[in-house]
Amino acid sequence: MSWDEAIAMGTLTLRVGGVAIALALGPALALGLWLARHEFRGKALVEAVIALPMLLPPVAVGLGLLLLFGRRSPLFPLLHALGIELPFTWWAAALAAALVGFPFLVRACEQAFAEVDPRFEHMARSLGYTRGSTFIRVTLPLARRGVLYGAVLAFTRGLGEFGATAVVAGIQPGRTETLALGIWSRIEQGDDSGALVLCAASFLLALAATTLAEGWLRRAPGTEGNART
Amino acid sequence: MQRVTQPGSRSGRLALFLAFVFCVLGEAARGADAVVDVWAASSVREPVSELARRFEAKGRKITLVFGASNALARQIAAGAPADVFLSADDVSMDGLQANGFVKPDTRRVFASNQLVVVAARELAVPLAVPNDLLRPEVKRIALAAPEVPVGRYARQWLTSRGLAEAVKARSIVLDDARATLASVDSGNAEAGIVFLTDARIAKTARIAFTVPENEQPYIVYVGAVMVGGDQPDLANDFLRLLVSPEGLAVLGAAGFRPPPPKTVPPSDAP
Repeated sequence: MSWDEAIAMGTLTLRVGGVAIALALGPALALGLWLARHEFRGKALVEAVIALPMLLPPVAVGLGLLLLFGRRSPLFPLLHALGIELPFTWWAAALAAALVGFPFLVRACEQAFAEVDPRFEHMARSLGYTRGSTFIRVTLPLARRGVLYGAVLAFTRGLGEFGATAVVAGIQPGRTETLALGIWSRIEQGDDSGALVLCAASFLLALAATTLAEGWLRRAPGTEGNART
Repeated sequence: MQRVTQPGSRSGRLALFLAFVFCVLGEAARGADAVVDVWAASSVREPVSELARRFEAKGRKITLVFGASNALARQIAAGAPADVFLSADDVSMDGLQANGFVKPDTRRVFASNQLVVVAARELAVPLAVPNDLLRPEVKRIALAAPEVPVGRYARQWLTSRGLAEAVKARSIVLDDARATLASVDSGNAEAGIVFLTDARIAKTARIAFTVPENEQPYIVYVGAVMVGGDQPDLANDFLRLLVSPEGLAVLGAAGFRPPPPKTVPPSDAP
């Protein structure tokens, strides 16, 4: 277990986690806002479906992704024509991480948006802001703490993703072997010290991510701060 | 306070974003290289890694993926980008070949192996004969899963000795040959059945006895170029290196036996 290897694995893990958040953030914001602002019959069911990737065993999520994007999927001809071959690439790892982190992110967004007083939005609208700019300049800044908190939760969950990733991306050193997969394959080889080095790397990554986010949350004016000024 | 930190955090965000873009682009650039993907049974890790080093010394690049042959075969069938597949049995290769994933003319038997019983350092009683596996001190026996080549070979032998049921009652089941060895090496199982070549690299476990020659199952390692790979020429080159005298010497040094002399199709074997 060389440091180069561990660093390469950490970089890959960060990339996978970063792309995962990038993939999940847009849909999660939209869905969170919609859920926060609408009451309807069957909402509980919708919430439950969104929570599924969090509730299902991750390997089941991985199998679902593999069946959906794999060679025998009914979608495959279309994906192939578009030049998209997802399984066993690091994009597959990112998608798996995005999916398992998605419920955390949606839930956090929903709660954050629900706490934004709609009067601020009405004011902005009456002052001539469009719906879009009201969201960007009023709603999102007011909800930023919750959104950021959810993003950190989803990101760190994605960093440690194992089951879904192993199924849909495989454990390919240098390509899809993230820290979590690396730890597993070293345990399987009986290389406990190698596994521990990677555990330490994971620990440092998670600590850095949460510390950065905490610092950020503390410095940024929060919901209450903004609302009172 | 806010006025001081705001611009700072903004440039911090920009730096994070740039680092992220850089990472993604870096990966895209790296993806363009010609890399031959060799997917191999976990038991051939050391010799295949050694041959990969020699292969790369000539300026070519290899990605090595090791695991249980049956699991690798399943992943290849699901679209994994393997150029070469090296299996610890012909069952896994046959399954792929039947579904058109294998270039049949490239298929080669490249080695054989032997089953051994290994014992944990902590085990106080000696294991000398198969029935010793039933001694009360042997609480847990490590076996690879029945679909895994070494797991199937081990069960074949146990069945032929009439020990299958008794051993099953105290067996723990692992994912591949190396995980099986690791569980004995770590003392979490008192005994295990692995390949001779695995036992040779054990850290603390020792070989209790080798399965007698006339009871050894028919163990073959087969390699072939995969249809779905994107480096067929490099794949051929690597497979040729593996079955060359140089490759066989590296395998031999790791304790593998030469491929069985008969070139009968392995599936005809009993």
